[in-house]
Amino acid sequence: MTAEAPPEEAADRTQDSAPSPGVRAWMARHPLAAYAVRRFGLYLVELWGALTIAFFFFRLMPGDPIQTLIQSLQQNYIYNAQASAEIIARYRSEFGLDGNIFSQYLKYMEKLILHGDLGPSLISYPTPAQDVILRALPWTIGLLGIAAVLSWIFGLALGAVAGWRRGKLGSRILTNLSIALSHVPFFFVALILVYVFAYTLGWLPARSAYDSNISPGFDLAFIGSLLKYGLLPGLSIVLIGTFGWILSTRMLMVPVLGEDYLVYAEAKGLKPWRILTRYALRNCYLPQVTAFGISLGFIFNGNVLVEQLFNYPGLGTTLVTAIQQLDFNTILGVTDIAIFSVLTAVLLLDLVLPLLDPRVKYWK
Amino acid sequence: MSESVKESAKHKGTSADSDSVLEIKGLDVTYSTSRGDVQAVRGLDLAVRRGEILGIAGESGSGKSTLAVALLRLLKPPGKVTAGSVMFHPAGRSPVDLLKVNGEELRVLRWSALSYLPQGSMSSLNPVMRVQDQFKDVILEHAPARKDSLGELIPRLLSQVGLEPRVGRMYPHELSGGMKQRVLMAIAVALEPDLVIADEPTTALDVTIQRVILQSLADLRTDFGVTLMVISHDMGVHAQLVDRVAVMYEGRLVEVGDVRQVFKDPQDPYTQQLIESIPRVGRRSS
Repeated sequence: MTAEAPPEEAADRTQDSAPSPGVRAWMARHPLAAYAVRRFGLYLVELWGALTIAFFFFRLMPGDPIQTLIQSLQQNYIYNAQASAEIIARYRSEFGLDGNIFSQYLKYMEKLILHGDLGPSLISYPTPAQDVILRALPWTIGLLGIAAVLSWIFGLALGAVAGWRRGKLGSRILTNLSIALSHVPFFFVALILVYVFAYTLGWLPARSAYDSNISPGFDLAFIGSLLKYGLLPGLSIVLIGTFGWILSTRMLMVPVLGEDYLVYAEAKGLKPWRILTRYALRNCYLPQVTAFGISLGFIFNGNVLVEQLFNYPGLGTTLVTAIQQLDFNTILGVTDIAIFSVLTAVLLLDLVLPLLDPRVKYWK
Repeated sequence: MSESVKESAKHKGTSADSDSVLEIKGLDVTYSTSRGDVQAVRGLDLAVRRGEILGIAGESGSGKSTLAVALLRLLKPPGKVTAGSVMFHPAGRSPVDLLKVNGEELRVLRWSALSYLPQGSMSSLNPVMRVQDQFKDVILEHAPARKDSLGELIPRLLSQVGLEPRVGRMYPHELSGGMKQRVLMAIAVALEPDLVIADEPTTALDVTIQRVILQSLADLRTDFGVTLMVISHDMGVHAQLVDRVAVMYEGRLVEVGDVRQVFKDPQDPYTQQLIESIPRVGRRSS
């Protein structure tokens, strides 16, 4: 039996490769491209799976959005108390809530994939959900994106120095401060910042994204107002985020400092700055790049608490409003964007990592 | 007769010859632990002559590696030099006490005058840098004038240790243990230093590669005229490579002398045991 196995295997192999010798050869010659193609295929499967789960998950939420819509119409307008069954049916069809759940699903996916259409929103009917989301997206990306980049840069730099000079007084203070502060919820820091700088000192505004007296435009007054209004919410995220990155960078840095190649670099008589950047940091920052990419993806979720606290017109605020009114299309739309951005960020990271670290190889 | 040979060897070992590269006097190195201090090197006197290969022999824990890191100023706490002086005479520079120089002065001295050849099986090469970049950074640091000749210099150094130029474009994880050891050897002599301290350069390599590495080391001395201090527990290495051998035991120097003399007529009982304890090439040939 075992003696027969090898020829069988060999036969299988020739059969396997027989239909596609060109593809095999191409994959062997272009391992990176072959990997990219395979990885992209996986990405599409992941995307489909996550979108499907999200769709069915939100349909499990109790309540009927059409009833809510009818009620709000009744409250706001003089409206026939007994909405006719026809009108309800029309709304159901328009929101994609007619038919059984599988036909709803197929219709939803078709509109999403072929037309990029998320369906009408309920919170600002009849504006499509994608327009509602796109209106909020720049605020969220602007605030959270800049905050995430800044906290990563500060955290990586300070964490590297804290690890490099471990045992020194300054490093010990910074490390202990980071341990204490990195686990303080940022909305708590935001509350303190609001209390001190907005409420007590009155230096900075605590609500909204810009001064409503200034009309939005690409001029100094508006940009200044944006910065002024974004400072407190941004600061609360940057402060806590930075301390988190300091801790993790230091944790990655310390074991690298004991490596033989650091002793060797010292024996080489290289300048300390060069040893820190090219030998120590260069060998430990890879996990931080990965974590940073993933955290950038999560930005698209919006930061619900901070946006609510500062009444910032971002995705987080939109999401909360949508959930309160059972606006399926908008909730799903925000979730879909989050899924898309996280998966895309991870895909890009996987493709970029082999360029950052020669030891990372996905192919043989 | 033999007593006088030992005496003269000892005398040569400690005397401040004008052609000495390194003169170690009364060196004490201590590791302080929670259970008290451990003296790893005790009152060591030794001189390294210009152009020679000096072997340091001894069992594990005899203090030979501690001696190497102390001379290279790479000793980390809890290790501490508690006494002694190490006068270093780099060619064309004024002599310095290696134990007293610090900061920038020490950094400038490193590699251009005093370089280090670690064990190749250790991860001494930066895993994320190409081999040629690990030559480049140290050469540019100490001899920026050679910037334009790097493209020619690095392949030449690699070929000196029997490696092809394409190795320069490789990463350390793509090299075998023997290749890594050769790369380290080539980097060690890149700036033609006055003294190379080699710490167990053949340990963890298989026997055939060991032989080749030892031959390359001997060639480097011929080609570059470097002075080598070779630390090894392997008496075979000393028999094959070094001119003089110093035997350490429990932190003390028990014997120094011409390697043939020491092998033929070991004076110290410990040296005798050390020589008898190994399957020595010399025993078969005699």
